[in-house]
Amino acid sequence: MITAEQKPIKEIRETIAPYRKILVLGCGSCVAECAAGGEKETAMLASALRMAARMNKEDVLIEDKTIDRQCVRDFIVQLEGVIEAYDAVLSLGCGAGVQAVAEIFSDTTIIPALNTEFLGQTKDQGLWTENCVGCGDCMLYYFGGVCPLARCSKQLMNGPCGGSREGRCEVDPEIPCAWQLIIDRLGRIGGLERLGKVYPAKDWSKKQGRGPRKIVREDQQR
Amino acid sequence: MSLDWVPVVAVFYCKNVPGGGEEERHAIEKRYKGSARLYPIPCSGRLDAIHLLKALEEFADGAYVVTCPHGSCRYFEGNSWAAKRLETVRRLIESIGLEGARVGMVAESSEEPIDLSILTGEFINSISKIGPSPVLKS
Repeated sequence: MITAEQKPIKEIRETIAPYRKILVLGCGSCVAECAAGGEKETAMLASALRMAARMNKEDVLIEDKTIDRQCVRDFIVQLEGVIEAYDAVLSLGCGAGVQAVAEIFSDTTIIPALNTEFLGQTKDQGLWTENCVGCGDCMLYYFGGVCPLARCSKQLMNGPCGGSREGRCEVDPEIPCAWQLIIDRLGRIGGLERLGKVYPAKDWSKKQGRGPRKIVREDQQR
Repeated sequence: MSLDWVPVVAVFYCKNVPGGGEEERHAIEKRYKGSARLYPIPCSGRLDAIHLLKALEEFADGAYVVTCPHGSCRYFEGNSWAAKRLETVRRLIESIGLEGARVGMVAESSEEPIDLSILTGEFINSISKIGPSPVLKS
């Protein structure tokens, strides 16, 4: 999923300052799972902004609403007849959600309230970790289900480096050495022979080398 | 401070704390007149940050939580969650310039539990010292 964190209130207040009617718009998908922009967080932010506005004697209307997904047109269009009443939308969607809403409601100012972080997993309650860079050419089979591009601090395709110490990364001892994980896991599943070859440098042309990517599936289209 | 100001506190409390029954709630609200609004919850773990925020936004000069003693939650960790949510609210209101002391939590003591009525009085006293909420007076 896509992870995100809320921007500081000060920054949010600065960006919404020119507007009088603001819709705080949550997203019920990835950013809800990572407790950054779901219904609860949206209500909390809206409440805090209303209180801040009152304390500063600002004459503003701040309301909130959460849709299931800000990155899917079918959900965004639910805002038709709603969004027009506001001067600006403060979006708690990820970067994709903010842009999708802005594209459909092109005359409305859409302001991000979150900093989008990374593709990751919910490792535990309140703990999210990065484990995918969306490279467009998944090689997890060869690396035993551990991505060296996302989880090795140096993005080494042939590791480990000399900085691996007792399974920890020299960049930050908090970080497990991805290559230690790769070797351990391939050893457990009998796949160490997959490391018998030298992997070439990553071909990033499949990520962004040709500009923004898109996926077209005619079998899914109307 | 306005002379006619009457402090109002919102008290969210686990129904299992001493004096947490329904009759006691009516008695406490009657005793403190309009200064105390009590909200029983089945466990303090049910508390959400938005409950405290809404109280502060709409009517309360302060919002407090009363939980079972640490380690004695019948749902194991409800009071630990309540403490974390309270800290989230404290950080949030401080970020907008509201005093963090307007929210607070009391975990009852197993040995010497304090009646909810007395705690409510203490909350009102605390808020009386801080003064009217700038959210409400404006």
